[in-house]
Amino acid sequence: MSGRPSRWLTAFTALTYVFLFAPIVILIVFSFNDSRRSFTWQGFTLEWYQRLLRDTEMIGSLKVTLEVAAIAVVGATILGSLLGLGLARLRFRGSGAVQTLLLLPIMTPEIIMGISLLVFFSQLFGLNGSIGQIALAHITFCISYVAITVRARAASLDPRLEEAARDLGASAVGAFRHVTLPLLAPAIAAGAMLAFALSFDDLVVTSFNTGVGSTTLPVQIYSAIRFGVTPSVNAISTIIVAVVSIALLIAWRLGAFRTAARAVIADPEVA
Amino acid sequence: MSERNLPGLSFNEALDQKLAQANWSRREFLGRVAAFGAAAALTQLLIACGQAGGSPSAAAPTPTPQGTTTAEATAPPAPTPVPTPEDKLFVYNWDAYIGEDTVAKFQDKYNIEVTYDNFPDEATQIGKLQSDGKGGGYDVSYPASTWVPSFIQDGLVQKIDHSLIPNLKNLNALWQNPDYDPGNAYSVPNFWWTTGYAWDPRDIPGDLTSWAELWDPSRKNKMSMLDDLRECFAAGAFRLNLSPNTTDLGELDQILALLEQQKPLLRFYTATDQITDMVNQVVEMAHCWSGDWVQMTYDKPRFKYVIPSEGSIKGNDVMIITAGAEHPIAAHLWIDFNLDPEISAASTNYIGYMGPNDAALPLIDDYIKTDPRLNPPQEVLNELIELKYLAPADLAQYTDRWNKLQA
Amino acid sequence: MTSAATPADIDTISAPARESLPRRSAAAATSVLVLPGVLWLAVFFLVPIGIMAVISLGAVDPSGHITLANPGLGNYAHALDPDFIPALLRSIYYALATTILSIGIGYPVAYWISRYGGRHKVLLLILVMLPFWTSYLIRTYAWMVILRDNGVLNGFLLDTGLINEPIPILNTDVSVILGMTYGFLPYAILPLFVSIDRLDFSMVQAARDLYASGRGAFRHVTLPLTMPGIVAAGLLTFIPALGDFVTPSVLGGAQTTTIAKLVQNIFAAGRDWPYGSAFGFLLMGVTLIGTLLALRSLRREVIGAGV
Repeated sequence: MSGRPSRWLTAFTALTYVFLFAPIVILIVFSFNDSRRSFTWQGFTLEWYQRLLRDTEMIGSLKVTLEVAAIAVVGATILGSLLGLGLARLRFRGSGAVQTLLLLPIMTPEIIMGISLLVFFSQLFGLNGSIGQIALAHITFCISYVAITVRARAASLDPRLEEAARDLGASAVGAFRHVTLPLLAPAIAAGAMLAFALSFDDLVVTSFNTGVGSTTLPVQIYSAIRFGVTPSVNAISTIIVAVVSIALLIAWRLGAFRTAARAVIADPEVA
Repeated sequence: MSERNLPGLSFNEALDQKLAQANWSRREFLGRVAAFGAAAALTQLLIACGQAGGSPSAAAPTPTPQGTTTAEATAPPAPTPVPTPEDKLFVYNWDAYIGEDTVAKFQDKYNIEVTYDNFPDEATQIGKLQSDGKGGGYDVSYPASTWVPSFIQDGLVQKIDHSLIPNLKNLNALWQNPDYDPGNAYSVPNFWWTTGYAWDPRDIPGDLTSWAELWDPSRKNKMSMLDDLRECFAAGAFRLNLSPNTTDLGELDQILALLEQQKPLLRFYTATDQITDMVNQVVEMAHCWSGDWVQMTYDKPRFKYVIPSEGSIKGNDVMIITAGAEHPIAAHLWIDFNLDPEISAASTNYIGYMGPNDAALPLIDDYIKTDPRLNPPQEVLNELIELKYLAPADLAQYTDRWNKLQA
Repeated sequence: MTSAATPADIDTISAPARESLPRRSAAAATSVLVLPGVLWLAVFFLVPIGIMAVISLGAVDPSGHITLANPGLGNYAHALDPDFIPALLRSIYYALATTILSIGIGYPVAYWISRYGGRHKVLLLILVMLPFWTSYLIRTYAWMVILRDNGVLNGFLLDTGLINEPIPILNTDVSVILGMTYGFLPYAILPLFVSIDRLDFSMVQAARDLYASGRGAFRHVTLPLTMPGIVAAGLLTFIPALGDFVTPSVLGGAQTTTIAKLVQNIFAAGRDWPYGSAFGFLLMGVTLIGTLLALRSLRREVIGAGV
């Protein structure tokens, strides 16, 4: 069924991965560069890693970032997936308005969204920023990404599949769980990955919602550029890449991907 | 850290020698000239020379076992009973704008846990401080001095209890009574800076002195300006012999025209990348602040800096205690701690910005305090102008023109 | 035979072929699915934005505070200054170029992963995202290392003799578009994958037989069927790209200012929240109208193409 890929397509894909990882390789290399600011190689050093271990602010902000991302991904994925599925499946009055509503957060300039939430939380609730507040902000702009991604997939799902399951005796929830959800799983996972990347790297909206002691990594890094980002930032990024890569390697060895892929591959019977 | 361009005139050389002997900076000397007149200052200088080298300043106050402040140890005659400080402190400051070990030393000394948060730019800082009208949850922050009058008016800052900050006496006389905050009632000066431009003498030989150099067409695509509308307009204003605080629309249009001539020659506008880009030779000349130049020299000692002869900007920031501060005692201790000569000098030596702390002068690295670009002589000091806070209607005129320039 | 074939399922382009359940379960289903998300957005997005909208009608009083004493559309009129148009056009240009490139690059990659990735599909997708779990700023600095006049790219080109002099890439339109495309690529690849993956390749095979060419099969079968993914990718790339001012600032130069940067200037340097909000809302309005028009014309085009 899957023929051989054309050589050009494979080469193109490989080249794209090179494109994606080129800056990463550079940043890893420069995390060992014996110079604070220079873009040329000056020698090998582990100084930045040593500094990183002592940099409680940076490590603290990484923790905050991960906490926020965890909450934001869960919240946005659940709300966004439901929203995406609902929009794709059902016709209801006001679905056009909801679709437009989905587009609005993506269209809003980040500084306006950031300031609006700052005003909202501080003036209406007297809150001065916190991990929770950042997470709430992140969920708000991530929902759209998840919803649009899930909807793209849900739109091509045959509603009769679920109907058939119902005919065969499944409850509404059961049909949803055993038929729709698995078919949507890749879109939901994709949405979750997008949400994670968005949350992890967000700067502007986050900077207006941080509180005392709850700075995120991007805000911390950006605050550092005025007087000089040291390669400690490269070091922490390298460590993140390393940790994720190792986790992926372990998962791969354990066959986790094979199981996931089986769920992802379009079921040939449904054709 | 070699290659400093000290002027070669004999008067200056002689003065420098005397100043070095007395362990004064030029700035300190000229401060006294301004305060007491030349004769009195010279007399003081000669007396100080007689006390060859000057003595190290008084040691930092040592903590008592209870961790309370030690105003008693350093001298105001009537020791007021000092309240016990809280165990936490929330500080909101620029990154790397303090000595490397300052926070750690403070924590060790007073056993107060410091949460030291940074912000990426002034808009975020001010937005956060103003968000709830009383400081956004922080105790201490470091705004530019131009914000102080409006903070006072808005009730965003609280009065500083001078009795808790004995080290205030370390401040240079000129800084004891600034016009943005008479008597330092609500703020304490932190660091000050000048604006100018830096260049790579390998690419651009010679001694540059004028703002016009940043308009030189032969340097197309090799220059950068600060992404700061007030600073850019100031540069233009100085070239046209206008005030950088002008609100005259005709003058603003003239400045805009001048800046528009410059824009095609620039590689970029930046307020954060000028150091990195100079060090990596992306540009040969960069409009920058004095501390930026010091940072550049850590990597490329040969770089030069000048405060242009037509005039330039000086500025300073301050430490304030917010109205909503939950840890006011600790906040006062923090300010006092930072005015300690050793701590202040350590900060200056690390970040390259001068502070108004006289007692710290002997401990500041020579290359900073003897450099007329970081510690300018009288005639330049007189011409350095502070950027005044502009009323919103006036600022809007600047913003519009700035946006038209950049668009 | 397969539901995925009907053009009517192409999301947002066409309306019909949605099921109409009996009214009560339709209402219930809607509530469970749609309401939570809508409520959330209503509270945490519409209300705050509503506050800003009100603020946009106000002004800044002499003491620097926002006042609503004389509400009006003055700020909006102020923003409609023709001098700002170059920046707007530039932003649109960057966003369009970025979107086209992202989809152009993303589609083949998504196709490859979906069709030939086999049991490594998920891993390959995660690998696409992996670079973006590092710091944006450092990635951008890494691009500076690569693109500078004496950087990696020029060094490589010079060494291999392809050029004689370094090409100035940094701080130009090229570096901005390259940086933006890089940043938005995953936001294109993932939605595209999600849609392409639903494709039944046996259909493509059949179409190939029918049209006797790969190109025909692609144009008439694959493309329309994956249109929802393309639309999603387009939305998730173009719209945020329009508002991106960081990449053009860091990788761009004095001549690459975007409209989003002007908004930033008003808030940050100008300290004028009412005017800045008005400017931002104007921008949003333009984007919204443009997007809705584009979607509508796409719908017309696709249905017209016929499958």
